[in-house]
Formats: sequence, structure tokens, C-alpha cells
Amino acid sequence: MKELTNEELMATVSVGNLDMLKVLFERHHKHVFNFLYKMCGDKMLSEDLTQEVFYKLMKYRTSYNHGNFTSWMFTIARNSLKTHFRQHKENHEDISSVTYALTLVQDDIESDYSTLQKALATLSASDRELIVLHRFHGIRYQEIAAIINSTPGAVKTKMSRAMQKLKSVYLKAI
Amino acid sequence: MKHVTDSLTDYLDGLLNQEESAAIASHLKECSTCKQALAQLKELFGAFEQEDVLAPSKRVREHFLEALKSEQTTKVATTLENNINVLPKKSGVRILLKIAAGIALLFGAFMLGRNQNERQANQSLATQEYKMLEMQQTAMISLMGNQSPSKRIQGVNLITKFKNPDEEIINALVNRLFLDKNMNVRLTAVEALSMFAKSETVKLAFIKALATEKDPSIQIAIIQNLVRIQAQNAAEPMKYLLEQEDTQPFVKEEINRVLGEII
Repeated sequence: MKELTNEELMATVSVGNLDMLKVLFERHHKHVFNFLYKMCGDKMLSEDLTQEVFYKLMKYRTSYNHGNFTSWMFTIARNSLKTHFRQHKENHEDISSVTYALTLVQDDIESDYSTLQKALATLSASDRELIVLHRFHGIRYQEIAAIINSTPGAVKTKMSRAMQKLKSVYLKAI
Repeated sequence: MKHVTDSLTDYLDGLLNQEESAAIASHLKECSTCKQALAQLKELFGAFEQEDVLAPSKRVREHFLEALKSEQTTKVATTLENNINVLPKKSGVRILLKIAAGIALLFGAFMLGRNQNERQANQSLATQEYKMLEMQQTAMISLMGNQSPSKRIQGVNLITKFKNPDEEIINALVNRLFLDKNMNVRLTAVEALSMFAKSETVKLAFIKALATEKDPSIQIAIIQNLVRIQAQNAAEPMKYLLEQEDTQPFVKEEINRVLGEII
């Protein structure tokens, strides 16, 4: 039997075949988790948000517009993370920045995080997410543009600058 | 030729066409700056490839499956309602969904109506069942008044159709026990009445019948029933039977045997 594409599966989910969401979960929950973990550096939070992403896919299934599934999924993941940090910031009255920072747990830096992850952590969240989506998850510029609401050209320019920054930080670290 | 550092990423990713690639390759042979930049980029790319893919703990899957299960059991109507609210306004889909909701409502109303019809049908079925019982009761009573003993037995046996027979039926059976000339009908009446031996009417009827009944097999059937229901005031008529000359010896034996059990 031919394997169904993500989009075909999601289309059946959107008309009520919820069991197919299990297939999508098995295919993608690791990607979502790793994306979130690279973005925030917190495993527990990443697990919670991974659950939230699939919960939202289920809840908002009928609003699926038959576009690229992974783009949609990462858009939801990204928004969930943003919402979390916005709420977190409000709770802690930190008004200095509206962007969210990578919350590396200091004690674990030496053991748990790779040099690359530590280098990624020094970038801004918007630079980091471009690199993570493109390099770890193979999302193309065009789809990234859809996810972050930008244009492929702007994504490409921003990406190359971000990569330059990452490269210099990384090379100093090793 | 100027430096190619800006194109090195695409070069490594294999996104350039043959011509562009060839140009960069030839530049790299001559330019040590770009060569070094390429080596560094390769190192970074290597780090990306070596980065571990982590697996989340099991609880993520467990919670997801739980949430999915509970969603599957949620009523269709509520999800439809939610989904309309989630959709952006002015969307054509929203309007379509509203129409769909309308249709669903219509269908729901139809089903409700149907359901009510069904309930009414069930009610009338219950009424019919009740009427059936009534008819059977009439049939039973009329059969018991029939000339032919076998018809009367048939009538008595209809008692099995009634779970909670009313007084009229019980009285009809009691009458059979006292008045029927045929011993077999009387015996069947005892058997029928024994199902309702807990009833005061039946108990009294049994005790009274013990005094009047002459047939030994019916006497024994009544005695056994009275013992079963532990009728205290059954002792007197039994003792009376013992004193009677025409009482069969085996009936006396039976009475002697059970008298102890009663008191």
C-alpha cells in the first residue's frame, strides 16, 4: 500500500478520521519536540508544548487549509512557544525584551548541550529559528517564509547573515 | 574574480547549477581565504549532522493518545460549533459551515422527530401488550369456565403469561380449586396457585381447601405448598385431616412427617 502523504492524512483528519492523526503524530512528534528543544533548551517545556501542538492540530483540524502540513505544524509549534514566553514574561514583569531567549540551564551546560546548541543559543530567537527550521528540519526558504510571514528572498538574506554569526560563534567555541 | 564566501553555503548544499559550481571550484583553487571559509563552513555543517535527535519521554505519546480518545468521544455537535468559532471571519468556509450546521440542525430535528415517533410507537406497543394481557385474561377466565376439562386445564395453565396477576385471576383459580369437578383441573390449579403462594388469598385458599378436598394427590400437593410457605395456621386443618377416617394412610404419613417442620 502506498504511504499517504502528510497532506492526505491531515485532509482525512480534518473531515473527522481522527485515527489518522496517530500516524501524523508518529511521523512528526520527534521533529516538533527537537525544534522546540533547540529553540528553548528546556526538555520538560518542549514536551509540554509538543503535546500542545498535536492537541491544537486535533482541535483546529477543520481549519486545515490543505497547504503544506509541516509548515502548518511548525507555525503552530512556533506560536505555542511564543505564547508561552509572552505569558512567562508577563508573569515575571520582564519588559526589557519582547523576544524570547534560550533558557539554558546553567548547571547542565557542560554535560547536556552540544557546542552547536550553545552557539545557537547566542543568536536571537528569530535567527535561531531560521537555522533550526532550515538546517535541522530541511524546511525550504519558501515554506519558512510562510511560517514566519515573510518572503523567500528576505528569508534567504536573513538566513545567510544568521549562518555567518553562528559560524563565527561556533568556531570560537571549538 | 572576487571572493565567493556568500555562495559557499549554496555550493555545499548543491543548489548551484553546473556553471556556477565550476566557477566557484576554480576560484577555490586560487583563493586561500575562500578555501579557509569553505573548510570552516564544512566543519559547521558537520556539527549539524552530528547533532543528536532527541526523543521525548513516553508521557507525550500517552497524553496525546488520551486527548485523542476523549476528543473522539466528544459529541459531533460541540466540535462543529467550536470549529465555526475558530475559523476566521468572512471566510467562505465559515458560511459553508454555517449552512452545514443548519443542515445538521435540520437533520438533528428530523432524527429527534423520528426518535419521538419511535417512542410513541413503543408506547402504543406497550398499550397493545397491555391489551393482549387483558385479552389473555378474558380468554383464561372463559376457558376455565369451559365444559371440557382439558380446555379448563389449558385456561389454568395460561397463568404463566402473567407476572403479576390481579385479584380476579387469582379468584378464578381459587374457584377452580374449590369447585371444579375434575381432579386434574384442581391439581393444575394448585400448581398454578403455588406460584403465588406468598399471597394471603392463596394461603387461606390452600388451608380452606385442605378441609374440603378429598383427593389424596391434591391433598399432598396442598400440604407441600403450605409447608414450603411455612403457613403457621396450616397445622390445625392438617391435624383435622389426621383424625378423619377416610384420609388416605400415605396422606397421614405425609402430614405426620411435615407437622414437625411447620411448628
